[in-house]
Amino acid sequence: MKKLFQHGLAVGLVLLFAGFSYGQKTVTGTIYDGETNESLIGANVLVKGTDAGTITDIDGTFSVDVPAGANTLVISYTGYQDQEVDVTGTSSVTVMLDKGQLLDEIVVVGYGSQSEKEITSAVVKVDAEDFNQGNITDPAQLLQGKVAGLQVYNRGGDPNGNSTIRLRGLSTVGSNAEPLVVIDGIIGASLDNVDPNDIESINVLKDGSAAAIYGSRGSSGVIIVTTKSGGKDEEIQLTYNGQLSTSSPVNSVQNMTAAEFVAAGGTDLGSSTDWLDEVTRAGLSHIHSLSASGGIGNSSFRVSTNFRNVDGILTNSGFDQFNTRVNLSTKAFNDKLSIDFNSSFTNRDQQNGFVEALRYAVLYNPTAPVFGDQSPFPFNSEQFGGYFETLGLFDSFNPVAIANLNRNDGQRREFNYGATLGYRLMDALTVNFRFARQETDYANQIYYPTTSNFNGGATSPTRKGLAEFYQQDLTFNLYEYYATYLADVGNSSLTLTGGYSYQEDTFRDNFFSLGDFPNNEYDFSGIVEASQDLQEAGFIGANSNVSPDSKIIAFFGRANLVVDNAIFLSAALRREGSTRLGTNNKWGLFPSLSAGVDLANYLGMSNVDLFKVRLGYGVTGSLPPLPGLSQPQRQIVNAPDGAVSTELTRAANDSLKWESKAEINFGIDYAAGRFSASLDLYNRDISDFILNRAVDAAIFGFNRRWENAGKLNTKGIELALNYDVVNNSNFTYNTGVVLSTYKTILEEYVVPAETRGNLGAPGQNGTNMILVEEGEEIGRIWGPVFESVDAEGSPVFRDVNGDGMLVTAQDKALDPEVDFEVLGNGTPDLEFGWTNQLSFGKWSVNAFIRGAFGHSLVNTFRAFYEPRVSTQSSYNYIDTPKGEEGLTTARFSSLYVEKADFVKIDNLTISRGIDFGAGGIDGAVVSLTLQNPLVITGYTGTDPEPSLVDSGAADNGGRGFVNTQDVLSPGIERRNSYFASRSVTLGLNLKF
Amino acid sequence: MNKFSKILFAFAMISLASACTDLEEDLVGDITTEISLDGIDTGGGSGGGGALTGAYAELRNAGTANHFGYYSVQELTTDEMCIAAKGGDWFDGGILIELHQHTYGPTHAMLNNTWVQQYNAITTVNEALAGNLDANQEAQARALRAYFYYRLLDLYGSVKLVTTPGSDAPQSSRTDVFNFVETELLAALGISEVSASMDLTNSPLGTDNNPYQINQFGALGILSKLYLNSEVYTGTPRWGEAAAAASYIIDSGVYQLCGDGCAVSNLGKRPGVDTDPDMLEGYPAVFGPNNDNNPEHIFVVNFDEVSGGGMNFSQMNLHYSSQFTWNLQSQPWNGYASLEEFYNSYEDSDVRKGANFIVGEQLDFGGSAILDYASDDGNLVLNYTPNINELQPNSLREAGARPGKFSFKQLGRNDMSNDYPIVRLGEVYLIRGEAMARMAGDWNMALDDVNVIRERAKVAPFSSVTADSFLEERGREMFQESARRTDLIRFGAYNGTWWEKPASEPFRNIFPIPDEQIQASGGTLSQNPGY
Repeated sequence: MKKLFQHGLAVGLVLLFAGFSYGQKTVTGTIYDGETNESLIGANVLVKGTDAGTITDIDGTFSVDVPAGANTLVISYTGYQDQEVDVTGTSSVTVMLDKGQLLDEIVVVGYGSQSEKEITSAVVKVDAEDFNQGNITDPAQLLQGKVAGLQVYNRGGDPNGNSTIRLRGLSTVGSNAEPLVVIDGIIGASLDNVDPNDIESINVLKDGSAAAIYGSRGSSGVIIVTTKSGGKDEEIQLTYNGQLSTSSPVNSVQNMTAAEFVAAGGTDLGSSTDWLDEVTRAGLSHIHSLSASGGIGNSSFRVSTNFRNVDGILTNSGFDQFNTRVNLSTKAFNDKLSIDFNSSFTNRDQQNGFVEALRYAVLYNPTAPVFGDQSPFPFNSEQFGGYFETLGLFDSFNPVAIANLNRNDGQRREFNYGATLGYRLMDALTVNFRFARQETDYANQIYYPTTSNFNGGATSPTRKGLAEFYQQDLTFNLYEYYATYLADVGNSSLTLTGGYSYQEDTFRDNFFSLGDFPNNEYDFSGIVEASQDLQEAGFIGANSNVSPDSKIIAFFGRANLVVDNAIFLSAALRREGSTRLGTNNKWGLFPSLSAGVDLANYLGMSNVDLFKVRLGYGVTGSLPPLPGLSQPQRQIVNAPDGAVSTELTRAANDSLKWESKAEINFGIDYAAGRFSASLDLYNRDISDFILNRAVDAAIFGFNRRWENAGKLNTKGIELALNYDVVNNSNFTYNTGVVLSTYKTILEEYVVPAETRGNLGAPGQNGTNMILVEEGEEIGRIWGPVFESVDAEGSPVFRDVNGDGMLVTAQDKALDPEVDFEVLGNGTPDLEFGWTNQLSFGKWSVNAFIRGAFGHSLVNTFRAFYEPRVSTQSSYNYIDTPKGEEGLTTARFSSLYVEKADFVKIDNLTISRGIDFGAGGIDGAVVSLTLQNPLVITGYTGTDPEPSLVDSGAADNGGRGFVNTQDVLSPGIERRNSYFASRSVTLGLNLKF
Repeated sequence: MNKFSKILFAFAMISLASACTDLEEDLVGDITTEISLDGIDTGGGSGGGGALTGAYAELRNAGTANHFGYYSVQELTTDEMCIAAKGGDWFDGGILIELHQHTYGPTHAMLNNTWVQQYNAITTVNEALAGNLDANQEAQARALRAYFYYRLLDLYGSVKLVTTPGSDAPQSSRTDVFNFVETELLAALGISEVSASMDLTNSPLGTDNNPYQINQFGALGILSKLYLNSEVYTGTPRWGEAAAAASYIIDSGVYQLCGDGCAVSNLGKRPGVDTDPDMLEGYPAVFGPNNDNNPEHIFVVNFDEVSGGGMNFSQMNLHYSSQFTWNLQSQPWNGYASLEEFYNSYEDSDVRKGANFIVGEQLDFGGSAILDYASDDGNLVLNYTPNINELQPNSLREAGARPGKFSFKQLGRNDMSNDYPIVRLGEVYLIRGEAMARMAGDWNMALDDVNVIRERAKVAPFSSVTADSFLEERGREMFQESARRTDLIRFGAYNGTWWEKPASEPFRNIFPIPDEQIQASGGTLSQNPGY
């Protein structure tokens, strides 16, 4: 059918062209597949610089009239690379076309791979050469801005912080909103154990039809990482990568200098201190990677070692990391048996530092001295290790003392290994067995000496000094079998895959803390037996947890059908169960169906390489975030006489089930010559959120239990464009843009409306800034509208509903009478990434520009410290152009909600290749990378990047939510923010 | 192998795996069912012991003496106390001002928390009752549950009476809740009604004087409070029964008012401050950090700084720098303060004035003045002034006399060890006096009982009593004991005006049912009138 269609078109086109030809020179020729030597039917032949052209006939031959002056033919064929042929002085040519790289790239899709052309769902592949460059410590940052619809935000520049990753917005409310990571086939592997230098490519499965094969953990998308490996019969090659980088803070909060502060009526303590300057530094980092790869006969290997020493811009923050990875593969028994082995080991010693030093540097009195001996009044500085402290003031600690006296160290060791055995039972049938294990140990020690006013109890007679110890062990085991069967029937091919997966993880942790140490002569974290707390019961904090074996068991199958090499169908089904679900709902079913058609073939669009239209539907799930949530939980209650009893702290729910996401994706892939584009439209419905929901305390005995409730809908559009603007041997310029936009509506929720995201102390507890309401968008910032300042310095709010009555109390936030309105939205309307790659000779330049529009942020520093509150004259004031003259009362309002649109040059790299004639060096590249050199934004806080999760308020040395982050409260910049940094990196790449 | 058998082999491998589909979750690291262990009596008195340990522990968890629950809503809504907004500090979205000015609504977070605290407590008692209890333990548990329902009756009026863990119950009218509390307490006492001639010899409750458990006198004390407020709760006065229950306790002679000679050492004394007494004697001894087994205690909550946390007055009331007066473990929060008018209602000679409040310039452990380097009143010395300049927005940081009746000890921890009375003899005298006066329609009938209290406080006896002077006296005596809201309502004064509190409407006398609870109940709870 397809061939007939093509032939008809070919004949028609030949006739058409024949009509116009007047013939000055006729060139004939034959076009072959460069590998198989088979002739190619229907290849395009175009005379360069003219309209003249033809296509090849059934024998792959053509005849074309070449006008005078023209002497180059351009040969193109879908799936092959274009080729130019010089026909000066000849009238007969033979052309061998090479397979195109663009269109026949192999894409890993989970339990197998497909040629890119056959993909019927929204899958994007990013290769190493397209990754972000520079001082990148977190593999997710390699992808920032590169994939339409993938949000990677690492607010601030904390070297020990992880990026927040979101695919197509919020995909789950009560569960893990981060995508599932699959590394070299191992589901649920940790990105922390992959060095960015070892990554070959990353595939992102964006829609439900692609992710359904991963079932109950596929809702937040799937990121498939393929690490580099050696090639068969390849000479051994050594590669060295080295980077030296320095970073400095940018966009720090605009507070007052000592002189400004005194002029504004602040309490003058006589000194002048730039606290931000005192606790930040130029962070110096160096990174070295060495790898060897090659192959001998049927075996190949790659071994790499990576070392990173990274210093953050905050004093005493950074890490040392050693990572090594070994990938081996071999084949035996006439290539019937294949064995792939991967392992990696990471040891990381991190100085977490105290981000609170930055927070208090912003608000600490700028006239206060660093050291107590410069105090304007009698002050016993010995008690505080020589540092000054403003005593008697809530939430105020000397930032330099925080950063210098205390220690917050972590050690993480991660060891992964896995093997995949494949056996080809017959040509069409392969069976695979995979085993993988991942072990992670994390230890954290925090030590506050007896002289630390911040959490160290320097003013306390009984509790001076505190040591905290935390230890965590995680193991993960994976066993999978699957079989792949290939069948060719006429002009169709069918691939069947089916298998079984068993995943098991366990968790164990323990914590203890004690203090009251004799003095500050020693670091007593290593000598806790000196603690007076051991003598006084009740001051020792201890806690331990052992998780049950969390298991996921799945059966899965998939069928891929290719008809005519132009119609592609895929259907998958996964039946999966988890121990984390209620006894009545252990098992779930996750189907998907998708189809694609390459219309370029059918419509015979001669200048179009690909015009694929695809449609997919798939259901995926999300599991409860922790084990045991369907079961009751009780806590120990002690009594003064030593008696022990328990009380309920979680009511049971036997019906707890997975969160479900159903998604339809429609996409178009288009490629013609130097231009390619990809468009995706999707609609996703998420239901049965897993929520810790308020229940009738009278019935359940406790007012909360985990239930399924709620519906969310997201609709979005993603567009990726790529164009080779200039492409010749001396100069190339390629530019690409990815754009995405989406809207998320909360359709059903446990209550018609609620507010979340408490602003916090001092004085602004009970001030929930985010409105969550049925039928409305997620992330709406809600509060009174600032109008003016009254004579007493209090804010005057707008009578929004014009009823003559001003209702602005925070606990009336949901009252129909309330004079609040939507002040902004925490999620951006439009995000884009713009890549520019230029090369000329040995030079190349890579400029990456990124932006987001339409989102707002609550600038909490301003909300607390910008009004000139008389009773707060011992805190520094924030001073931005957005402040209001004469305002002396701190109340949350529209005044502190700022548009945070931004465009930034994220990454600018200039590199040059250097030839070495000798010395055993095959090639060298030196590069210079600027990260974050320019940010254009009107936002006055530390970083305009969207804040997609909220870690909650924290005050007076307390911590926010450490483990839980609220996904329903985007749009708040908290005071515990690590400041963003700008860095310059010098890189050297050597190949031997 | 032929093709067919190979395919068969592949699928056999897969089906082999399918044998392993067990998804049972064994929570090895969590407690999912009740466990309890008897403690060892270390001389500090038993906390209830055995099967009722968890049930009695709920008294500490149910907001009895900390911030954001029962104590807060009972105190901050009255003329005893407020939390003023100090610039940016302690505004908290206005909920503290709302409590004091009676503009609270169904979304008030503290009112929701208070509700949840009481039902959590009731569940624990219900679970204990579902287990194996002897007759005495069962009677104690029923009386304890009745006490928590008494709180709900007083706070919210119309609530669900759940008596079996996990089961639902319809919302009962306030009268039905009253009747339930009465019936349960009578059943625990083994009598059908309270009267002057009642016979408690067959009561399953004992008469042992262990104030951490409910005995006959404790149950009668709760009953007397219930009857005293019966007119408010049901419209029908029950003065006679209130007086009879109170008289039975007083006449038993088991308990004595703590007056002269009733003393304990002063654990708050600073070595460098000579004016600090060595001993706490009389009224202050009833509430001090070492008030265990005070002769006035009938039923008290057993707080302990180590194993019985939940009393945080030092944190809640004191200015940050007062840490150095008592060498407290942590810096306090500078929240609760008394109203000037209330403070001034005490005569200077009243021992309760010195015992109940902390005012004036503050000295540290060594006797030196305490400095507040972030002072906002132009004077670095920390000085608590009875006057509070304003409720909001810029109350001075040092304004307001600080509640100190449950006095602080040196080197105090965040949790305090003072036992907190639910029924004590001093209040029983006031209940009897008031009930007799109201029954007779003559306030002078309360004269004898009121003067017992005044005598202990070292103030001249009243020669006559009025409703107003009785309410004032009750306020002075019962300060910081979560009684004031209930008292003001009973005396018709709750809706009146004081200081920055405007008049409020009568529907405010019952708190709104929290919105979160109405939503969670799926329509089985309806809102109180007016909200």
